[in-house]
Amino acid sequence: MKKLTLLLGIFSLSFAQESLEELKRQLEEQRKIIKELEKKIEALEKAQKGQEEKKAERPLPADRSLQLRAKYEERLKAYQISPFRQTAFLPDIAFIVDTSLVGRNRKDEEYKELEIPELFHTHKEGGHAGLNEKRGFNLNYGELYLYAPVDPYFDLYATIPFSEEGSKLEEAYAVTRGLPFGFQLKVGKFRSSFGRLNAQHPHAWDFATQPLINKVFLGEDGLVEKGIGINWLAPTPFYLLFGAEVLQGENEQSFNYKGFKIDNFEIEDRSVPNLYVGYVKTSFDIGNLSLLTGFSYAQGKHREAEDHEGLDAKTKLYGFDLTARYQIDSIRYISLQGEYMYRDQKGKKYEFNNSQLETKGITKKQGGFYLQLVGRINKQWRVGIQYNLINKNTVKEDGTKEDLPKNLPAYYAMVEYGPTEFSRIRLQFGENRAFYKDGVRKPVKEVILQFNFAIGAHGAHPF
Amino acid sequence: MRSLLILLLSLSLSFAQLKVVAVYPWIGELVKEIGKDKVKLHVIAKPTEDFHFVVPRPSHIAKLRDADLLIINGASLEIGFLPPLIQQSNNPKIQLGREGFLDLSSFVNLIEKPLSVSRAMGDVHPEGNPHYSLDPHNIPILARAIKDKMCQLDQKNCTFYTSNLEDFLKRWSQKLKEWDEGFSKLKGTKVIQYHKTYDYLFVRYGIEKAGTLEPLPGIPPTAKHLEELINRSKGVKFVVYEIFREPKPAKRVAEAIGAKAIVLPHDVGVEGVRDLFGLFDEILMRLSR
Repeated sequence: MKKLTLLLGIFSLSFAQESLEELKRQLEEQRKIIKELEKKIEALEKAQKGQEEKKAERPLPADRSLQLRAKYEERLKAYQISPFRQTAFLPDIAFIVDTSLVGRNRKDEEYKELEIPELFHTHKEGGHAGLNEKRGFNLNYGELYLYAPVDPYFDLYATIPFSEEGSKLEEAYAVTRGLPFGFQLKVGKFRSSFGRLNAQHPHAWDFATQPLINKVFLGEDGLVEKGIGINWLAPTPFYLLFGAEVLQGENEQSFNYKGFKIDNFEIEDRSVPNLYVGYVKTSFDIGNLSLLTGFSYAQGKHREAEDHEGLDAKTKLYGFDLTARYQIDSIRYISLQGEYMYRDQKGKKYEFNNSQLETKGITKKQGGFYLQLVGRINKQWRVGIQYNLINKNTVKEDGTKEDLPKNLPAYYAMVEYGPTEFSRIRLQFGENRAFYKDGVRKPVKEVILQFNFAIGAHGAHPF
Repeated sequence: MRSLLILLLSLSLSFAQLKVVAVYPWIGELVKEIGKDKVKLHVIAKPTEDFHFVVPRPSHIAKLRDADLLIINGASLEIGFLPPLIQQSNNPKIQLGREGFLDLSSFVNLIEKPLSVSRAMGDVHPEGNPHYSLDPHNIPILARAIKDKMCQLDQKNCTFYTSNLEDFLKRWSQKLKEWDEGFSKLKGTKVIQYHKTYDYLFVRYGIEKAGTLEPLPGIPPTAKHLEELINRSKGVKFVVYEIFREPKPAKRVAEAIGAKAIVLPHDVGVEGVRDLFGLFDEILMRLSR
């Protein structure tokens, strides 16, 4: 037994000695390896540093996915914090503020009462705020603008102007983004593509005020209607666009479907949709000159009443527009833009005279135009003049021609300073000789200093 | 009858071509190199136009209507004119995110990406400096991306496009050596530019950026800023500007600091530049004088 333990002891000792030597050898080897590795790492680090320096001085083109992989750790954390974050889907949001300082030779009360005979009078009820309405400081609007694709099939746009009193949903519509054969469909509430200026927002206008014909035929807010629109871009080598719109017809100047009640006489609402619009637009380039021209047509019923008078008529509105923009160089241009509108109304006029209802046949043939010349002098300055004229104002009641003024002009000049695309200061002055009160012409002289600012993601304007 | 036949034939031929719309001339040049006669090309911007403010003429809408592929510079360079054109094109193929839309800025590393943006900083692009086409080392990557996209849309001509690309790349890499050699001689040369248009080129070759005539990107030079620039600039050799800029501020500064004011081409089609090779040849020549 003793022998056995001794033997075992010797064995184990010799084993221990062997393993100790083995261990020492291994350790030495590992030390060598580590040293080699350290050297390698140092070399690598040096190389990397060099590369980084190179990277810093050179924009080495590389696959973006590599960068993404490098941020893997970071991203992993980010997702764990907010796995349902949707901020990436926020729509484009812009806010546009328009404010002005107005000088006018008519007091606000008097200005409000002025009318353009058989063409325009301020509606007593509603009384929405027009632009630059009061003398002194005006806050014309603060307009919220939203845009984003809904999905692969639709884009959505909304324009919500705020006034000091409240807000309204001026525009909210979806446009298709994937119809074949050059078609595009629009549905919701939107500015009609009738003519040239109507589809543009006020902040995109070249002048602080609306042209006279737009005001009298389409109203101060323009032709903005609920409905559906379709357009087709023809497969021609030049720009040729056809469009049609079916609209509710709630325009207070020319296309109103709502009935009325004067004294004890009542007329019901017209059937809806009440307004149909068609247009064709085309464009050519001749060297540095771009021409854009179009014909528009709108047809609908119109009912309106004031005090003891009411009108029930059918309106046909014709429009012709032409824009000729000559690009002198990359920045400077001269742009001539004009529109002609002609309104043909036929219907019945109801009037209470000493509680007696009189009904007369009425025809109105009215037309006019504006023509403006705007030039961009350099990147920040623009100047322009605009001439307005209503040169036809024929109204017949039961075949008898009314005695009406038919030479109704207005003219404006403006100079504009735009430090960037996002801010604009415009000085406009001019005279409107179309206004009357009790048959007497009341020329309105105006000076407007307009400020317009846009913040946020506001899209570019079309041509 | 025969003329009708010819007309029909030519129509069907034109149908067979891949219709490409390129926003800038240099993109068009790459498309021409790769696609040759198999491609029908329309270029939106004129080389004489400020690349930020291209006129959104309706005539472009007609070309976009039938396009199979729209290739853009990206990095917000076209934000002031292109979105309405795409929207009005009524063409589903080239809408954002569709197969026929190619944004080249996604294939290169953009420099000068700001950490934060505010419009108070002027026209700063959140993605970084968008004028990456002026680094000749970026061109091969961009050419390859265009070829791959064209192959994707027009598989039957892919071998044709590939061989054209290889041919182009071969010629390009030869010229690259020449340019690398030529431009590296300019290392350390101080240059003032109108806008940060040539940053990629300057960074690539160690040409020293000595400031811009614009006080902030997109804001025209002011008297005060030019005065400051004149006072702090020493040893500047060139004041460079693009063809569409007002030359007066450049000349004024150059005169005051004893530098040379020169127009540098920024794209194909201006200052006698006839193709992409000529673009860098001309830039090198003008900076080497």
